[in-house]
Amino acid sequence: MSPIKFLIRTFKDYYKKNEANLREVSDFTKREFAFLPWDKSIMLRHMGFENIDTLNQYIINSAPRHVYSSGTLYKHPEIPNMEKKGYEGCDLIVDIDVDHFYTPCKDDHDGWYCKSCLKNGKGMPPACPECGSLKIKRISWICEKCLDIAKKEVQKLLFNFLIPDFGIDQNSVMIAFSGHRGYHLKVEDESLRPLSSEARREIVDYLTGENLNFELLGLRTRSGIVYGISQKNLGWARKLNNEIQLLLTQSDMAIEHFLLNLGFKKNHIKSFLNYKDTFLETFRNSELNDWSVEGFDINKWKIFLKGIAKRVGANIDEPVSIDIHRLIRYPGTLHGRTGFKVQDLSIEELEEFNPLDANNKSKDPIVFEQEGIEINLKIVEEFVPATKIKGITYGPYDQGDKIKVPKHIAVYLLCKEVAEPVSMI
Amino acid sequence: MKISPELLFQYPWLPSLEDFYSDLSDPLDFLNKFSSKFQLNDYESRILNLFRAAFDNLEEISDFIADELNAYLYVFIKILVYILDNKRIANRIANLYSKQSYKELLDDKEDANLYDICRDLNLNVRYGDLVRFKEEYDKGQKEILETRFSIQFQDYLKLSIHLRDDNRKLCHKALINGYVYLKKREIKRLLQEYVRHKFMIKDVDDKNILEKLKQEFFKFEEFKSIYDNILNEWELKKEEFEYSVDIHFEEGKEFQGLFPPCIKEIMTKAEEGQNLTHIERLYLVFFLHALNFPNETIIDIFKGLPDFDRKKTEYQVEFAKKKGYTPHSCNTLKALNLCKAAKYDDHLCLKGYMSKKYNEQRAIKHPLFYVQYHQFKRSMMKNKQKESNKKENESNQISN
Repeated sequence: MSPIKFLIRTFKDYYKKNEANLREVSDFTKREFAFLPWDKSIMLRHMGFENIDTLNQYIINSAPRHVYSSGTLYKHPEIPNMEKKGYEGCDLIVDIDVDHFYTPCKDDHDGWYCKSCLKNGKGMPPACPECGSLKIKRISWICEKCLDIAKKEVQKLLFNFLIPDFGIDQNSVMIAFSGHRGYHLKVEDESLRPLSSEARREIVDYLTGENLNFELLGLRTRSGIVYGISQKNLGWARKLNNEIQLLLTQSDMAIEHFLLNLGFKKNHIKSFLNYKDTFLETFRNSELNDWSVEGFDINKWKIFLKGIAKRVGANIDEPVSIDIHRLIRYPGTLHGRTGFKVQDLSIEELEEFNPLDANNKSKDPIVFEQEGIEINLKIVEEFVPATKIKGITYGPYDQGDKIKVPKHIAVYLLCKEVAEPVSMI
Repeated sequence: MKISPELLFQYPWLPSLEDFYSDLSDPLDFLNKFSSKFQLNDYESRILNLFRAAFDNLEEISDFIADELNAYLYVFIKILVYILDNKRIANRIANLYSKQSYKELLDDKEDANLYDICRDLNLNVRYGDLVRFKEEYDKGQKEILETRFSIQFQDYLKLSIHLRDDNRKLCHKALINGYVYLKKREIKRLLQEYVRHKFMIKDVDDKNILEKLKQEFFKFEEFKSIYDNILNEWELKKEEFEYSVDIHFEEGKEFQGLFPPCIKEIMTKAEEGQNLTHIERLYLVFFLHALNFPNETIIDIFKGLPDFDRKKTEYQVEFAKKKGYTPHSCNTLKALNLCKAAKYDDHLCLKGYMSKKYNEQRAIKHPLFYVQYHQFKRSMMKNKQKESNKKENESNQISN
């Protein structure tokens, strides 16, 4: 039996045992469904189901690697021609995935190797640092720290943007752990469904702060003096001012680190730190907004504010929210790259949730944990980082290592395609 | 909700107009009622003046009267625009009518009217306590922006999405609990954009249906007579539009054919009366200045834009000239997403040219070089033509 056959059997057993038991998403019959089988790289799309039972049965029978449904509502979800599907609107979907932003721990657990020069290393370089080739295989790993950062991004998105600014009703927000390295948010609100891609682009720009024009928020020069963003301005202007104040209360070392990352030179950092207290004073007195710092012209302030905006904005996978035909993992199904369940969560449950060590069994995405069952594997990848699940660390492993691990770890390593069942070799 | 007839006469693009015509089932019904209610003398000049003003890119309708006839004329004009099936005409009417509506809205100081208009448009608008949401500085003078109006962000996005200036972006607005706080003037500008879109036409798939409909409408002699009049006026004007740049720039010199695709794209948008982004405007001004186009000609190009403000444009065009800014390079244009080489499949932009000096294929690096290159090619062809004419004459002389 090949690793794939093993995984198909494992997934099938799981779905059968639990009778798939999937939750029916809203407007079920208007959603397009898509499946990625284990043996094909082509997605089976444009499928519609009459009810949740027929979907459950389909999944039990086929045990696909990945299961998706559309955020979009169609009159005829089963018609392949997009123009004839009868578009009726789309929920607002936000994907927060650590694959799309930097986390410091990635330098430890993520790896790559170059298919051109065979060099390998840690971290996530955009191209091979040795030969410059873009043909690099990436090994992205799960880690509690990354997932915690992703969770905090979800909370930031909810409590700093969607709820206070956009007035989104908490009851319309569906949150799910993606089963891998992030979270999905779906806002099911009738009034958002008609929004065009362009309108969604505007929402994304608001959530990320990517395309802010700081002059429009109040930054200006007059007679050689730079005036900052007025504290009386609402919206993003206020968010930026609040974040600057927060930065100014941090240690000099933290501020220096922030400015260094933005490319500021030592002399500029020194003059900024000298000015720190005066700067804080301008924030205490709302009438003042003179931002004169030696060596800081308006362009330097723009770089500074861009850095501040990056701290304030949410790290989201932008195209997902802009696309009005996007597919999203179906809650309750298994993720084919980890074997973890796509776990539905309420806003309250999110706070305590740790996907790799869940307290609440009914919300545990790790579904293959079975006491006493261990599986023999052989590591086939050059380097496999350590995996900490349920408080126990497995690995790191090197190519050729023969290991005996619990079933949920075995499923994870097999899904990651870094190991093979030993008895099958 | 019920809206007053006065408001409806002034702003006939409001959805409540449907209630006004609730007894009419289709456009033919409407023309029937219209021709029985009004005489050609009552309305002919008002319609023709409106079309003339639109063709001349004027910014207001000089004989605009907010009377009952105005509500009828709105529908009549919409039918005409549909039947004319000409996007340029539609855009010009859209721009003129929306500018007139904006002017009317600006003159109307009643908050209640603005609120009623928004509600009639089914916009989720709130009117509440005065909220200070921004401080702005204009030449050192502080202006505190405060408002009682806020609009739900979904509706704001629907209305503002076609406006291209950075200021309308949601991330630059005061967005609180789902509502965007806006000055009354900003809401009125959004309404102008709404009106503009009311006149936009889509491509008609089945021209036969349109033709049949047209023949039905032509049974109304008055309608036919006005239609013919408008079409005649347009035919006379059309040529002037297409060559307006040359006429002012250099007598007898065809220039537009030499323009690179990035400029052609912006010029087409401007001609069609579409909104331009700030970057597009700047680039066009810098480019035309570099070719020594007179300020007046440049301003005229912007005249058809939905948000055209003559004073502002004059100031900015003159300012850019004084500063002597040069147009962006091809690399910058690519970065700004203004390069349209692929869209126009332009050989010179995409493949470059054979440089005799370097004996190699070289890429175009600047849009001005594009013009220079084409000018050079054109003069070479002229010289060749002269040469061959000369030879032909000489050979004719010999054989003679």
